[in-house]
Amino acid sequence: MSGRAFVEFVGVEKAFAGKPVLRGMDLAIGKGEILYIIGTSGVGKSVTIKHLVGFLPIDKGEIWFDGQRVDRLDERGFYPVRRRVGMVFQNATLFDAMTLTENVALPLRKHQGLGWKAALADARRRLAQVYLADFADRYPAELSDGMRKRAAIARTLTLAPEVVLFDEPTTGLDPVNARRIDRLIRELSRTLGVTAVVVSHDLPSIMSVADRVAFLYQGRVHALATPAELAASADPIVQQFIAGRSSGPMETPGF
Amino acid sequence: MSAAPSLPVRALAALGRPVIAAARATLELWGVLIGTLAGIIRSYGKGGRRPRGAVVAQMYAIGNRSLVFVAVTLGFIGMVMMYQACLQFSRAIGDLSQVGLQFLRLVVSDFGPTLTAMMLATRVGAGIAAEIGSMKVTEQLDALRMSGVLPIDYLLVPRFLASIVMTVALTILGAAIMYGAGGLTAWLSFGVNPRTFFDPAMVQPRHLALGLVKAVTYGAAIPIVSGFCGLRARGSSEGVGWATTAAVVGSSFAVIALDFALSVGALWLFGGDL
Repeated sequence: MSGRAFVEFVGVEKAFAGKPVLRGMDLAIGKGEILYIIGTSGVGKSVTIKHLVGFLPIDKGEIWFDGQRVDRLDERGFYPVRRRVGMVFQNATLFDAMTLTENVALPLRKHQGLGWKAALADARRRLAQVYLADFADRYPAELSDGMRKRAAIARTLTLAPEVVLFDEPTTGLDPVNARRIDRLIRELSRTLGVTAVVVSHDLPSIMSVADRVAFLYQGRVHALATPAELAASADPIVQQFIAGRSSGPMETPGF
Repeated sequence: MSAAPSLPVRALAALGRPVIAAARATLELWGVLIGTLAGIIRSYGKGGRRPRGAVVAQMYAIGNRSLVFVAVTLGFIGMVMMYQACLQFSRAIGDLSQVGLQFLRLVVSDFGPTLTAMMLATRVGAGIAAEIGSMKVTEQLDALRMSGVLPIDYLLVPRFLASIVMTVALTILGAAIMYGAGGLTAWLSFGVNPRTFFDPAMVQPRHLALGLVKAVTYGAAIPIVSGFCGLRARGSSEGVGWATTAAVVGSSFAVIALDFALSVGALWLFGGDL
């Protein structure tokens, strides 16, 4: 064993057009853990998870997944990583020209090499698991945001990933649908042992679902704690964020 | 603190930045072309999944939906060009017996493919860039990559193949309409006998070959340039708008530049006998 955590970011730096976003970020995530990444907009939360699946190259540092260094992989090298690490995007990102079943069947065809018939049959089963069996032949434009999001989750889960990255999964959803997504994340972790890394601003979600919370500030992990510890933190910056106060010691670009 | 760079250094930097950006963009454009060709090999090679349905759907979108647009535009251009040609010929030499012969040669080897492609560059190029650009800014391309699909294979390969086939088909149709409309104008406005006008004597196989090569090249260039612009879209709707505009400008420019290059190449190959 390499002695590394299941997912580990070591001294990761990333800048866009010369503007640093991540400035030597260190973060270790254990297997089966539900880790929420929180912080103000533009602090690099989504950037962090996109680095893990190779959507954005890092400028400096290391990223490790299950003992393998992944930050130097090329597009093809990331294929095996993306079979094991799924991602639910902020928007549902379903393909408009495909029905829900076809959307969900796509990774089964491409990653697992299933035939179209077998992939469609499996996709229908997956859609039933997220209560969308009756909508399997509908197009994404015909569904509500919550349904699209659930279909996107079904698509992500088709490959039985070991890690699922959620980019603001409850943003734009009503409280009922948001709590359903929370429950789904918890069930994935508890019943299937999936490691969940969730980027979110949704405090009720964070407090009820997270095992640990990483609070990003100024390109680094400023605080890493359980939700209860974070809520009780005496750190004024953490307190300002948790309380949602507009004034305080936190420096927010653009304000 | 280090001293501020001197004026010549700053001027050089200001000059160098766009040059580097242009070089980078050219490399990326080549990357899209090579990636698309590799995608065709992947799709049609051993064990590949041939995107037949997607190619047919794109043929319909690119070809059938452009049919009226291309037919009407090239018809009107044929009429205007022939009217002007007859006017100038009658003023300068007073003989219109050669006008149809020369017109057909030009339509086959140049005007037909080039004007058809210019029309397609605006309609099809904008569509391709807008669709791919929207998918880029809404992270659908990343979702494709997560699904194990290379966006170029899924989006550009079918459009590339369909565009080549339909550009050739529309060129044949457009050239025929242009020639017919020109003949009608010459007959009705200047009394040119249709039997004199519709005489293919001057058209040689090399003219047909040049026209075909141009149509195939334009058909390949339009989706590559437009797809490249779509893939470069950034941000939100503004980025998609930029990509769409860039695709129309870039595709049109590519058609003109390729017309020049292919015409020069043909002249070099066939000499003044073209």
